[in-house]
Parts: sequence; structure tokens; C-alpha cells
Amino acid sequence: MQDPASIDPEGGISRNRWAILLTVATVLLTAGFLFFFYAYPHLKMGPEQPIPFSHRLHAGHKNIQCQFCHPYVGRSKHPGLPAVEKCLYCHNYIIANHLWIKKEHEYFNTRTPTPWKKVYYLPEHVLFNHQRHILKDLACQECHGKVEAQDRLAGERFKMGFCIGCHRERGANIGCWLACHS
Amino acid sequence: MNRRTFLKIAGLSSFSLASGCSDPQKNLFSLVEHPDDMVTGQASWYATTCRECPAGCGVLARNREGRVVKLEGNPKHPVNRGALCMRGQAALQGVYHPARLRAPMLREGTRWRETSFAEAEALVKERIGNAAAQGPRRIRMLTETVGGTLMSLFRSTLHGWRSEKPVVFEPFAYESLRAANEIVFGIDGLFSYRMEEADVLVSFGADFLETWLSPVEYARKFKEMHAFSEKGKGVFFSVGAYQSLTCANADLWIGCHPGGEAAVALGLVREALEAGRGGHLRDFIRSTILQTAREYTPAHVTRVAGVEPERYQSLVRRLLAADRPLVLGTGSGDCGENALQTNVAANLLNFILDPDLRRIDFDRRYRVETAGRRSDIIAFFQKAKEERDEVLLLYQVNPVYHMPAEGAVNRAFARKGPFKVSFSAFMDETAEKADLVFPVQLPLESWDDYAGASGFISLQQPAMGSLTDAPCLGDLFLRLGAGNSDQPPDYRSYLAERHMRRGTISSEKRWLLALRDGGVEAPVTSRERSQLVPYKVMDDFHTLAEPNDGALVFAAAPSIRFFDGRGANRPWLAEIPDPITKVAWQTPVLVHPDTLRQNGLAQGDIVKLQSRQASLEAMIYEADSVRPNLLLMSIGQGHTAMGRYAEGEGQNPLKLLPSGADPRHGGAFFSIDPVTIHSAGLRRELAHTDGSRIQHGRKIALTLSTEELDAGRPVEREGLTMWDFPLTLPLPEGYDSHRDFYPPHEHAGYRWSMTVDLDRCIGCGACAAACYAENNLGVVGEQEIINGREMSWLRVERYHDPSAMEKIIFLPMLCQHCDNAPCESVCPVYAPHHNKEGLNNQIYNRCIGTRFCAQNCPYKVRRFNWYTWQWPKPLNLQLNPDVTVRSKGVMEKCSFCIQRIKDAHNTAKNENRPIADGEVIPACVQTCPTGALVFGNLMDPNSRVRNLAEDRRAYQVMGYLNTKPAVIYLKKVVQAV
Repeated sequence: MQDPASIDPEGGISRNRWAILLTVATVLLTAGFLFFFYAYPHLKMGPEQPIPFSHRLHAGHKNIQCQFCHPYVGRSKHPGLPAVEKCLYCHNYIIANHLWIKKEHEYFNTRTPTPWKKVYYLPEHVLFNHQRHILKDLACQECHGKVEAQDRLAGERFKMGFCIGCHRERGANIGCWLACHS
Repeated sequence: MNRRTFLKIAGLSSFSLASGCSDPQKNLFSLVEHPDDMVTGQASWYATTCRECPAGCGVLARNREGRVVKLEGNPKHPVNRGALCMRGQAALQGVYHPARLRAPMLREGTRWRETSFAEAEALVKERIGNAAAQGPRRIRMLTETVGGTLMSLFRSTLHGWRSEKPVVFEPFAYESLRAANEIVFGIDGLFSYRMEEADVLVSFGADFLETWLSPVEYARKFKEMHAFSEKGKGVFFSVGAYQSLTCANADLWIGCHPGGEAAVALGLVREALEAGRGGHLRDFIRSTILQTAREYTPAHVTRVAGVEPERYQSLVRRLLAADRPLVLGTGSGDCGENALQTNVAANLLNFILDPDLRRIDFDRRYRVETAGRRSDIIAFFQKAKEERDEVLLLYQVNPVYHMPAEGAVNRAFARKGPFKVSFSAFMDETAEKADLVFPVQLPLESWDDYAGASGFISLQQPAMGSLTDAPCLGDLFLRLGAGNSDQPPDYRSYLAERHMRRGTISSEKRWLLALRDGGVEAPVTSRERSQLVPYKVMDDFHTLAEPNDGALVFAAAPSIRFFDGRGANRPWLAEIPDPITKVAWQTPVLVHPDTLRQNGLAQGDIVKLQSRQASLEAMIYEADSVRPNLLLMSIGQGHTAMGRYAEGEGQNPLKLLPSGADPRHGGAFFSIDPVTIHSAGLRRELAHTDGSRIQHGRKIALTLSTEELDAGRPVEREGLTMWDFPLTLPLPEGYDSHRDFYPPHEHAGYRWSMTVDLDRCIGCGACAAACYAENNLGVVGEQEIINGREMSWLRVERYHDPSAMEKIIFLPMLCQHCDNAPCESVCPVYAPHHNKEGLNNQIYNRCIGTRFCAQNCPYKVRRFNWYTWQWPKPLNLQLNPDVTVRSKGVMEKCSFCIQRIKDAHNTAKNENRPIADGEVIPACVQTCPTGALVFGNLMDPNSRVRNLAEDRRAYQVMGYLNTKPAVIYLKKVVQAV
């Protein structure tokens, strides 16, 4: 056992300089990571899409029905995405020479599917059926939020609690397999 | 823990957190143009034709988001009526096979160069042009059995090149049966049989449940005559030197020496004539036949054929007493040199016993009769000349694999002279020896027609977009032959125009309807049968060989899994074990226990088999299902090429067989004697999936004799022992406070249940294959099967009767969805869970992999993911998007196809009605060729499943454990014959 009086506090810090530095660096890195992962302001806007399509303009300002572009929402599990040609039904006439509409034309002419970024995210082992929810007169906004108020969709990583809460409240099916998984 | 370690761990874990939790890169791709028939999230179904064997069953292909994920039988199709065999189910794995060629391969010296389709097409055109300019008959073609339209295109194109029509090569071409049909009926063809009308059926090896002519069709017809019903039960005798799956379904196997079938058949002819049958025959015909058959007295037959006298007597008795007898000849692979005589005698028997031949449909003929005889195939290759500038076209044939000992084939492929083009999607043995491998579209991607049996032309349409840039062979031929005549621009128009021209389809609308239904009926041309010429018939019996009763005979049998070997690279087929041996991935040689004892060998020993031709090393499987002097292997594996899953797996028994063809009917030899068997001094473990061959007296697969059935319903017993325990339905009324520890489950409207009729189950394994396809089951491979880690949710168990090992019973085993589920009560995290419709759910995300549940399951139906199983690209495109793909560390098991139950709920809710009986059809139930499986709601008193559960044959496997299974079995009805 060392005599406590012989310990030089200054010397202790300098001896452990690297360890302390590593600790501080780890804490800072972790905090930085958590900030960038969960709290970075840009995230609230959702990812940048290949074409800066604005839901606020189409669904909000122009008041186009969701089902016009997502036609299967009432008759299939998936709502469906509009094909490139569908965008051009209108945009052959409306702002046809806009820079981004030209990009859309390029997608069409080169027969390239548009690589939209997914924003509403469900884990793979969940099979959500849109039809059942729409036929129960649930508005799209109840899960998807105010889509018509956002330019770039922020999206959502849905968690099980979100589904279960609503299913319990409305007395809907909460059987694991019969409701969501298989 | 010291500080240093703590900091290390803290640092590492923050990095792993950062790298582990980021979103996977997720894109949603929109379509460019929207096809009319695609709704994302919903399946589109296309009617097309299965081309995995010449039977040509109709299939409905389930297309999800542009890719086919499942094949099901087309209920409207006259051949298979909704069912499909395991090979049909596995056709998808050919389309998505990782070893499928994506571009043509051109040989440059000893190496291959990948080339473009345009370049390859130009090359073929140039070589054909050069050869055709040199003289006539310079372009020669060998093809598999193809439909009428493609054949007519082949003919006209080859005619344009001044060449002869193509030769059709089928390894199983039924030469002896065709020859016998010509000798007795005057028609060189293959007829269909009205088996469903027979009351006594005798087969001399015809493996009609596996590969023979049209197996799905005959499985259905067989059970129509043989399944127990109030009208009684037909009798099926099988005569042969080994038990095929078909033979295992017989009421009595009459084992004979290899080649002894002809003696038995002649003996039956004699007995029939002696008994005064065949009165409709003219006297001189009768006497000529009798002259030949006279010496085949029962004593003589039992001596030369080596059959048991009592069994032979019972066969004679039942056949002569039959109202509607039907006799079938030899199997797809003829066993022995007496095949022709056996078939002739079988035909004569039908002729004698059934004067009007009502159970033979002479007008409905099988397309495979267009195949060339083996002798024609050999002649085809003998014509290949070194000096001649000629082109050899090979379409979907693999003669190098099928005729390994044939000198003509090997010489033809060794020659530099002919330019050999193989239109094969895989680099198989034949493609490997070609000069150009030109992949073409597979049947699921292309337009065509095919009539497996005359009377109905089945149409083929692309059920998906093409995965590769490969052209359709029809289109390619139209382009190659351009300039010959004014031909339509593409093969689809060629096909439609041909049908319109021939009048099979009258209008564009009819064409669309035919495509929707899967095909169109076509008139058949009747051909008059010629009179029996007795001396011609009897001449054949001069060459009848004495059956072999001493030396060891080696035989190669067709396989229900691989057919002739063309399906060997489908991983499901290798993974699902052989129905008789329950061995997967390997090709063991089946040897009788007595022979093993004599040679001092044991199961698992590796032996060297030596024939005149070659030698082969194989593992031994001890089998009571073969005669002591027979060594049996199944055909299909042992490929030296063909890519992943086929190459290097198992053994090819065809290597041992003699070359050449039988001069009497031109057929191939599928057996050889003598062979020798020597230990190679090594042992290997068999990759078998059965725990035991017998049931050890447990209440698993039960039988009921016809006498017991006649005695009426037995008294219900109420005890707690194995045989006293009453059948207890998994419903609240099955609750008994004296027996039950847990309270009853209340169900909300539905209690799903399945009944399995063991009397209808033939053990074919189609259900298991359908389950692999529907539920994304992992394929584990040979070593992991040895480790006991196979993933099948549904397996067909095979049990021998310990008192008579040749008696076999099959039992499909799947999760029993017990009411008192032993798995549920031992899970520490409640991952197995009982839902309100009685299903036992496995919650994958809760499962932590303790495997307590599997340990506690008495049925051993739970499967643990020891690894994250792989689907090498593009096999992953086949995965069913409605079913979660499980990963390592998770337990899984049969879900009663919950995704289909949910779909039915969805439809019923949309229409505001309850689910109707028969609306939910799990994949296994859907594909069963004999209708052995029934699924439905046990709470509905009128459902089929409830009625069957109340049948007097109903029982529960190991019900005495009070698990109250929801899978109710119906006992197999056995009859003493």
C-alpha cells in the first residue's frame, strides 16, 4: 500500500492524461453521435428526394386527393406509388419546361424507375394492410401526419406501441399473427 | 473490470451503436409505365403450363410485383385438376437459379468467352447458312418433347435448310410399352388409362405415382378407385423386384426376381384362359396364346419368378374375380430385359379380361409418344461425321449425362467437325461439350402451347418478365429461318395464327379466354385398332429370358424428385428427402439386409459397385424394399456440371448401365447384371430425416382393417392410457376438469383445423415442396441435415410395419396447433402463443432461442434457425412477400399458412360476411394430388373438416398426451388380399 501523502495530485493527472483524454473524447463522440442521429435539425425535414416533389403543394394547395396518386390504398395492402407516366399526365401541360419536370421526362425517356427515398418505415416483419384501415374510415393523416402541410415529408419510424395503442383504443384486432405479423 | 477494459468496451459499443442502428438504405422505386394487370400488394395469376416433365400439367403462376413467387395447379386443367407434384412446385427455382446463364458462352479452345446475344445469333445464322449451302441434311436437331406449334416451327425451319425434322430425345421414352401397344393393338403410341373406373389394378412396375406418363393425373385417378369410401375400396397389386413409391401404396407387393414380371404376367394369362375367360377371342387366337402361356403353371411361375405362392394365388383369385380389372405394364425405366414381354402380356391380359377394353382410352394419347427410341438417338449421334460441315442443335436435352457409356454420343461430342449449339439455360454436361451455349427463355417466361395428352391443348404464356436478355426459342427460330417463307413477326403471333388457322381457336376473344383458362379443347383423331395377329404377338416370347435369381443385378430407377435428372439443380428437390429412404441430397444404393449380411456390409458403408461398363462408389442404405439380388439406385443426381446444388451432389447410376439399345424395341437398358459389390473401406453418415423406421408401438400412424370397419363403430372408450384415451377436439367442449390443468380456450368464431386422410396419402411429398415455396423455408444442405437441422415445416413420415417391413405407411406431420400446446407452457418469453382462432403463433421477434419449445414438442415439428439461411441471388426473388424471412436464433414452425387465413379474412370483411368453408386453402392442401388434406373451421358444424373429424376413422397422433391436436388424422384402411 502506498503512503497517501506521497501521491502527487498533479502527477496523477499528468500520468493519466491519455486515459482522461480518451474518456472525454468518448463522451464527446457519443454525445455528438446521439445529437446527429436523433436531434439534428435537418432530419425533421426528411430525406432529400430525387425530385423535390412537394406534398404541401399537391395535396395541400392544389387539394389533389391522396388516392389519385396512391390508387390502391383502398383495395390492396400497399397504397401504390404513381408511375412516372402518371406525373406526366399533368406535367406535360403544367410547367412542362421546369428543370425538375425535365428530369422527370428524362426518367420516362430512359425508362428509369424513380428512386424515391422511403420515409415511412415499418420493420420487415410487420405486414401493414392499408385497405383494412382505409375501409375503417381512418384518415391517411392519422398515421402519416399532416402530409398536406409538408414540402418534404419527414416520415416516421413506426413503433409497435403506436399500432397497439390505437388498436386497443378502438377495440381492433390485437392477435399477433392475425393482425400484423406472419 | 478495470477502468481500461471499461473504456475499451464503452468506446467499442458506441461505434457499434452508431454502425448498427442506422436505417438500411431504403428506396421505393416507382414504375415508369403502369401495366393494367398489376396492383401493388396483390397477386396476379397467369394460367400457363408446367414443363418439368412431358405430362404437361396446367399451372397458375402467382405473380407479385412482377415476379412469380408460387406455382399452383390449375383447377380447370383436365390433366392435373388443381394439383401439382413437387417437381412442378420447384420449377420456379429453375427460373431463379443462381447458376442460370445470363449470356451466351462461346468456346474458344478450352475456355469459354461470354458473348452477346446478337453476336451469338449472328454466329448461329452464319454457321447454319454455311452448312446448308454445303448440301442437304446438314442441320440436325435434338430436342426434348415440345408442343405441336414449336415442333411445326422446327420442322418448317429445318425444311428451309433442306434438313430433316428434329429428333425428340426423352430418357424415359417408353419404348417397350409402345412396341407392345403396336404388337397387340396395332398402334405405336401411348394411351391413357381410365384407372378410376377399375376395381382391381395390377401393375408390373408402372410407377404411375412418380414419373410414369402423367403422375399427378394418375395419383388422382388411383385414389378415386383405391381410397376408402362407402362404395368400398379397390385393390392394387404391384409386381416387381423392388418397391417404388407406387408399389409402397399397393395392397400387396408381389416381389419377384428382376425380370420375373413377364413370367407372372404370362402365368396370369394362362390362368385367365384356363378359367374360361377371353371367350370373345377367336379360337385360333386363344389357342395360340394358350400355347405360349401353357407352361406357366402356378408352380412354374413361383419357381422361375421367385414369387411367394400364396401371394400369387391371391393375385390370380382377385384378378379373375374382378368386375373391372386393369393391368399396367412396366415403369418409366424398364426393369430388365423382359420388359417388352411383360408389356405385351399386360396388354393381352387387358384384352382377355376386358373384352371391350373400356379402361383404355385409345384416343387420348400422351405427347411423349413423339419421342424417339433410344436406338434412334444413338443413330442420330452416329451420323455425326468428322469431315462434314454440319450444325448440331440441342434444345433442353442432356444426352451426355443420360447416356454416359454411349460411344456414339461421346465420339460426336469429341469431334471438332460439327458445330454444336446447346439451347440450355444451364451449363450442364452437354452444354459443357458444345461449341456455343445459347440460353433461351424458360417456359414460365415464354409463349407456347403443349398438349401433354391429346384432347386439350394447354397454353403457355409469360407469367413474368424475362430475368435475362435471352430470347424465346420460337422467336429465335423465326429470325433464323427468315426468308424461308412469309412468317409472322414473333412467336406469339405465330402461335395464335396457327391456332386460328387450324380452327382450335375461332376468334381473338376465344384466344383471350383460352389464355385465361389455361388452354383449349381440341378434337382428337380416332385411329382404328388393328386386329390382333397372334403369331406376331407370340413371336416375342421366344426371346423371353429366365429371370435372374442368382447374380446381383443393378437397376437404376426413375426418381419422383428429379425425374430423369433435369430437376437436380432445384435445391428444394434435393432437400426434400426421398419418400422411401428419407435420405436427402445423397444417392445411396439400396441393398437387402440378407445381401448385406452375406457381404459383411452395413448401412452407411461406402461400397464400390463394378459393372462391365464402369464402377461407382456409393453409400449403402439397408432396404427391405428390394429383392436380395437387386441393388437399386435412383436416377437424377451425380451431375458433373449444371452448377450449384447439382454438381457433385449424389451419384449417377446411369454410369454403370450398358450402352446401346434393346434390339427388340429400341429401348434403353436401365439394369445390368452381373455387378459386384465391394467395401471401399470407408463409412459416411446418411443424410436421413427419419428418427426411426418403425413406430415403437406408439399411437402415430394407424391403420384400420376392412373387417374392423365392417364391424361398425367401436365403443367410445374413456381412459387415460394410450389406446383408451378418447379423441378430444380442440374446442371448449373438449375441456375436462379431471384431465385438464389449464382452462379451456375460447375461440372467436373460427377454430382452424386440418384433417389428414392417411388412406389417401401416397407419400409423394408435394405438400412439403409447396410449403417450402409458400413459407420461405431455408435450404440447409447435406451436412446440416446430418446434424438434424432441416427446416421443413411439413414432413412426410414413413413407417414400416415391424412385423412385415415391406408394409409402409406415410404420415404428413406438421404443427398440430394443439389446444394444450406443450410448447406454449415452457417458453420463458411467451413466444409461442395461442390466438383467438386456435392457432399456435410463433412470435419471431419475441423468440430468444432457448429451444425449450422444440424440446417439449412431442411431434418434433418446431425448427430452429441455426444460421441465417441464404437465398443466393436471384433465388431470393422467389420469396413470398407475405411471409417474414426468419433469421438466426429464432424458432419457427407451420403457421397453417396464416397469410392465406388473413387474406380470407380480408376478403370476407370487405364483403361483410363470415369466411366460407373451403375458402382458406393452405399451400399443402392446395397441391395435394389425392385430396388427402382438408382444412377448415372446426367450430362450423357443417364444415368438411368437422364432418371428417367425426368420422369413425378419426384419431389424434399421440392424443393420449392430452395435447388436443387440431390436426385430426383418419386411419388408413388396409385390406387383406
